[in-house]
Amino acid sequence: MSEWDGRGLPPVAAARMARFQGSGLRTSLLPVSGAAGVESVGLHPVGEVMGCIVEHIGWTGWGGCGYYGVGGLGGFGGALGGIGGFGGMGGGTVSSGRGGGRVGLVGYRPYVEALYRGYGTAVDRMVTEARAMDADGVVGVAVSVSQLGSGNREFVTLGTAVRADCSARPAEVFTTDLPGQDVAKLLQAGWAPAGIAFGIAVAIRHDDWATVRQASWGAGNTEVSGYTELLTTVRADARHRFREAVAAAGADGAIVSKMGLEVWEIEPGENHRDHVAESTVTGTTLVRFHGGHRSPTRSLTVLPLR
Amino acid sequence: MTADPTALGVPEDAMRRLAEMRPGQATSLFTSDLSVNEFLLVREAGFRPLGLVLGSSIYHVGFQFGRWNRNQELDTLSQAMYHARELAMTRMEAEADLLGADGIVGVRLEIDFKEFGNDLAEFIAVGTAVVADHATPDGRPWRNNQDKPFTSDLSGQDFWTLVQAGYAPLGMVMGSCVYHIAHQRFWQAIGNVGQNVEIPQFTEALYDARELAMSRMQAEAEHLAAEGIVGVQLLSLAHRWGGHTTEFFAIGTAVRPLRADHIIAKPQLVLPLVDQ
Repeated sequence: MSEWDGRGLPPVAAARMARFQGSGLRTSLLPVSGAAGVESVGLHPVGEVMGCIVEHIGWTGWGGCGYYGVGGLGGFGGALGGIGGFGGMGGGTVSSGRGGGRVGLVGYRPYVEALYRGYGTAVDRMVTEARAMDADGVVGVAVSVSQLGSGNREFVTLGTAVRADCSARPAEVFTTDLPGQDVAKLLQAGWAPAGIAFGIAVAIRHDDWATVRQASWGAGNTEVSGYTELLTTVRADARHRFREAVAAAGADGAIVSKMGLEVWEIEPGENHRDHVAESTVTGTTLVRFHGGHRSPTRSLTVLPLR
Repeated sequence: MTADPTALGVPEDAMRRLAEMRPGQATSLFTSDLSVNEFLLVREAGFRPLGLVLGSSIYHVGFQFGRWNRNQELDTLSQAMYHARELAMTRMEAEADLLGADGIVGVRLEIDFKEFGNDLAEFIAVGTAVVADHATPDGRPWRNNQDKPFTSDLSGQDFWTLVQAGYAPLGMVMGSCVYHIAHQRFWQAIGNVGQNVEIPQFTEALYDARELAMSRMQAEAEHLAAEGIVGVQLLSLAHRWGGHTTEFFAIGTAVRPLRADHIIAKPQLVLPLVDQ
């Protein structure tokens, strides 16, 4: 097996594309209803396409929560941690998103960039395959991430490339995680899917005394404002970055398909507990191509007999 | 959906529009948490999505022991469930207000008990803020009498049908009651061995708890001056309180009439050729 430098497609994938161009055999991952759907709007499946990258995420750029001046423990970025004076209770949430100078280098920024690179490369490689098949779009894309251990993660995108039954060609191959039926419904109503968009953010917050008190056994009914702030901040940042991605693509809107959230606890030092939250928003950007204000279709009221 | 794709210029126009996309160009951008069906139906019902809105609260739910042999509401827990949901809903409504929304559709109100702390739960409300294309037929605003955007947990399909039938949603209304159901006394349990009998105290407890939850929901609907409540779900949620402590939770969408008649087109019957 030859050494591959990471550019373009791996040799086996390139060989598969060459085989495809030679034989012209069509394959598809779409179920019957999905295939019938895309055919009904003049998109013909040409083949299944995949993009994959295994990434080692070794440096998360932990810069500390900015409490007790522990920033120095975090390594490179840590010293810039500063005090996050949020809410006047000490502690404070440091987030990867929207940061100005103060949090620019801390708060898991390198980790978030690595996740973006993972998702982005997987989509790009899938699109490269689709382009090699002379396709116009990829529908029903499944995006998955799996942990392979030792800090390695695999990002995979898998979808069905389609070619439009017309002379116009999109500037870029469109991608969508919506199933074939949904693509058909959108196109019939005057909307076209444009691309898969991601919004990812990570935030970290120190468990200050107020948080510890509010979350303790005898606290009674109370909102734990520190954790609420952490989760609100990380979701807001992820949604903000998602919106930025949609705007950057020049799309008219987006349908969110998944909003994931993970929270975990770290203990970087004695008597020092932090909580880290990661939020990922995934969706498909849309563009409108019908002229009028209203969509051109009218729904029929139908009652299925089953 | 019925339309001739080629008459609409599909896929020709779609591909041309995709070719015209200019990264970074300013558009009136929206994001939405709706499914494609819901998105299209909400548009067809005359509403435009503005953006995904959410509110969240991490809440420490207090502790309260129910007397072992007594039927009783655990009002500390009831209050916790109320207060935390209220916080999440209010924050979601505040986001929608900022977007200038008339309402929020497809609201999901969820509780997620967190692994990182005992008795910690996240209460989260997520929905899509929408603005109406047209004023209501009777001239009253789409927003409710509290001057808040209306909220609805109905699906896009149900929302479309509701508006078609001449009703407007006012707000999600809910009632909660956390109830401790008494254990049977020893001699009582012994007396029932080998017999098929009703356990009146259990029956009564369940009646009591559901009644409390539903009456609280009704009180909220009256507060919004609603005509009725649709899509009511009456749930028994065990959460993490063991077998004898249960939350009875009633939730629905309060509605008011938009016009006098409530007739929709008679649906066509179809026989789907799928086996699910």
